[in-house]
Amino acid sequence: MGAAVDLDLFLHAALNGLILGLVYALVALGLSFIWGVMDVVNLAHAEYLMLAMYATYWVWTLGRISPGAAIPIVVPLFFVLGWLTYHLLVRRILRAALATQIFATFGLLFFLRYGAFAAFGPNVRGVLEAGPAGSVLLFGVPVATPKLIAAAVSLAAFGGLTLFLRRTKTGRAMQATAQNRDVALGLGIPTERMYALAWGISIASVALAGALLFPFYQVSPTIGDAFLLIAFASVVLGGFGRVDGALVGGICIGLVENVLGTLLLPTFKLLFVFAIFVLMLLVRPEGLIGEPQ
Amino acid sequence: MTRLTASAAAGRRMTPQAWFLLGLGAVLVVLPFIVHDTFFLNALFLVFLFGAMAQAWNLIGGYAGQISFGHAVFFGLGAYAGAVLLGRYGLSPWLGAWLGAAISVLVSLVIGFPALRLRRHFFALATLALGEIMRILFLNWPYVGAAIGLYLPLEYRNRFAYLMWDSKVPYYFTALALLSLATGVAAVVDRHRAGVYLRALNQDEDAAGMLGIPTRRYKLYAMALSAALTSLCGTVYALYVLYIDPYNVMAGRISLLIVVIALIGGRATVIGPVLGALFIILLSEYTRSWLGGAGGGVDFILFGALIMGVSIREPRGLVGLLRRRGFKQDAATEETAPIEASVQQAAAKPQPDRDPRPASPGPRASGEPVLRIAGLSKRFGGVQAVRDVTFQVYRGEICGLIGPNGAGKTTLFDCLTGFQRPDRGSVHLNGSSLRHPMPHTTAWAGCGRTFQAMRIFADLTVWENLMCGQEHRGEGLWRATLHGHAAAAETHGHALLESLGLWSLRHRLASALSYGQQKLLSIAMAVLREPALMLLDEPVAGVNPVLAEEITRHIRRLNAQGITFLVIEHNMEVIMALAHRILFMAGGEIIAQGPPGEIQRHEKVRELYYGR
Repeated sequence: MGAAVDLDLFLHAALNGLILGLVYALVALGLSFIWGVMDVVNLAHAEYLMLAMYATYWVWTLGRISPGAAIPIVVPLFFVLGWLTYHLLVRRILRAALATQIFATFGLLFFLRYGAFAAFGPNVRGVLEAGPAGSVLLFGVPVATPKLIAAAVSLAAFGGLTLFLRRTKTGRAMQATAQNRDVALGLGIPTERMYALAWGISIASVALAGALLFPFYQVSPTIGDAFLLIAFASVVLGGFGRVDGALVGGICIGLVENVLGTLLLPTFKLLFVFAIFVLMLLVRPEGLIGEPQ
Repeated sequence: MTRLTASAAAGRRMTPQAWFLLGLGAVLVVLPFIVHDTFFLNALFLVFLFGAMAQAWNLIGGYAGQISFGHAVFFGLGAYAGAVLLGRYGLSPWLGAWLGAAISVLVSLVIGFPALRLRRHFFALATLALGEIMRILFLNWPYVGAAIGLYLPLEYRNRFAYLMWDSKVPYYFTALALLSLATGVAAVVDRHRAGVYLRALNQDEDAAGMLGIPTRRYKLYAMALSAALTSLCGTVYALYVLYIDPYNVMAGRISLLIVVIALIGGRATVIGPVLGALFIILLSEYTRSWLGGAGGGVDFILFGALIMGVSIREPRGLVGLLRRRGFKQDAATEETAPIEASVQQAAAKPQPDRDPRPASPGPRASGEPVLRIAGLSKRFGGVQAVRDVTFQVYRGEICGLIGPNGAGKTTLFDCLTGFQRPDRGSVHLNGSSLRHPMPHTTAWAGCGRTFQAMRIFADLTVWENLMCGQEHRGEGLWRATLHGHAAAAETHGHALLESLGLWSLRHRLASALSYGQQKLLSIAMAVLREPALMLLDEPVAGVNPVLAEEITRHIRRLNAQGITFLVIEHNMEVIMALAHRILFMAGGEIIAQGPPGEIQRHEKVRELYYGR
């Protein structure tokens, strides 16, 4: 075991962590976005990831449409799903006590997860030949093509959302709504529509993450468990309610999981993530780049 | 009269529940001698066990409102403690269960001490993560069998000393005993002071702290009690299934099921978790048996839908639905109450005339200072909110604190009462120094405070709100758990409510009061324990002139009874008539002080306040 081998292993783990982290960031994005826009914590967020992966699976199995080509089908579908979630559930609990809001999305989590159980069964499903095959050499380390594509698309999604929020009239209206709903309403901004749109964007972005993950990650009804905590860890690490916070947090979590996990103890890789999450909550709940309240 | 209030308050809430529980208990004791169906007995065992755990969860998650998604940790600790102690050391579970409970309490305090500081959804997330962390640790810990799990030694079976049997009936009774224990604990907490305090801090922790309730101590207490009860259930479960591993006793599924039962049954009620367990577990077990393995999860879809429905429509769950039907009768009888109240108020109206004291300030107070502030400063980033403030408030006076918006008046109050930590300076209350004040220690030292915004506990009755204001110094957790309200507080509270015209409304929810009545109630809550010094933050803001007159009359009366006041107020007419002495604050500094007439003529005051 020479130092060179260790360095290779480290580089490999770090690069994989970075790439996975970008996908985690995309999973966390919608969670953080909703939290920021309307101060609602969506415990069911990762269930939409699971559903999106099933959607990708069925599009592939039934229509032989590759995950990449499925994105234009799956993502708009989930946008509508997010929009519906807002109107059917979230709108009614907006002014309720915090505990009630937590319980409502907790009920949604149960509903979606066990709905998937009943519909698809408990088996793990995945189609490893679904995505583009092959790998690309990056800094002398081979990286599977689907992962590289996933990372690139995730970055593009972050760029797109940032541009939308900063450059478009609707995006600015949404920021205004996030800062003060009543003032925004007074200025003639349709805050209801803004909230519904935010939910659409949130769920669409997590669906995009699902479609990107699908070629190298198998789906079962319970994958939401781990992903929910990973997403929350990313959001809290970066600073909740912030788009850039999700990006920074997601990358950090990906690196922690892969680098510490690979180099120290693979069985404990999620333990590191959760431990850092809890420590962060206790020590600096406003996140790495957030401002103290 | 005092006895009347206590029994009326307790009796109204308890009687139907107590009858239901007694009847249910009698049926359940007889049942296993009539029905021998194993499936049915197994289902009821689970009902009792999960009912007991939901009851335990309800203490921290329902009453205290700190949502835990990690209670499987305590369940698992109980199961493992029982199994390891029996398997490795031959220790009877009668002892092992309590050792397990002790370990769970320790873990709950280690988790709770830092985590209960957090905002509520962060606490929920932290418990979710801790549940996963524990499971991963136990999956990889060889001493407790790691992923392979533990078999319980079978040679101890059918001996009462080891709590293991071949028949299901003894387990049935063990679990029933656990449910009775948990329900008993919950009922004791609910009926006594502790239950009221927990529900109060659930709604507004700062306000509860300012009344002298040590909120963090109560949250830790509820958490520890909850962990201990859950742990006992874990031990019994291990003895029942005879094999445990992290997947069957530390699964997130268990944590979530406990929450589901308490939520659908009705949180912060004694009967809710019992109803919830009956409904959820029986439904779950029977749909599973009817639909077979393929139907697994159908019941859970329904539970998810139910929880969403409960969140939107009826936060008190099944109990709320049942009460709603009962309420219709209540409403009919209570219809007369508002009339009675308004008559009383009308009768109380002429009182101001009987109190013909002119609006001029009374005699100057005695020379002894109640509050001594020296060199107090507080900076927020680039803003010096309070700058080197020094002043005294004398025993018996009403002192006004006025100044333009942003002068630092409320920040000053916050520094005095522990909501902000001052950068420099000293505060002496009643001659003793307040070094690192917390809201509740300030209250214990003899300082009461009302807030600028309305801070009463909307879901508590008027009487319960008031009783939150009783003396908490030296109260102790056991006293609060095992005793009703202090007799002195009840007597004084009765008189106080009578004088404020709120006595006939004492069983109403505080949210049903008018804005002015809520203002009066918030003052009553703070003065119930007769603090030496009362800080009032804009007592007449947003009330009409008639009510403002009534509030100032009450302040004068309380002052005559010996309470010293420091009052922030923007209504110049009111404060000039009320106060014996005025402090004028601007830009974080005390610029002028003196009798009202002098302050009104003060050049700087006129310039800064009236813009002349």
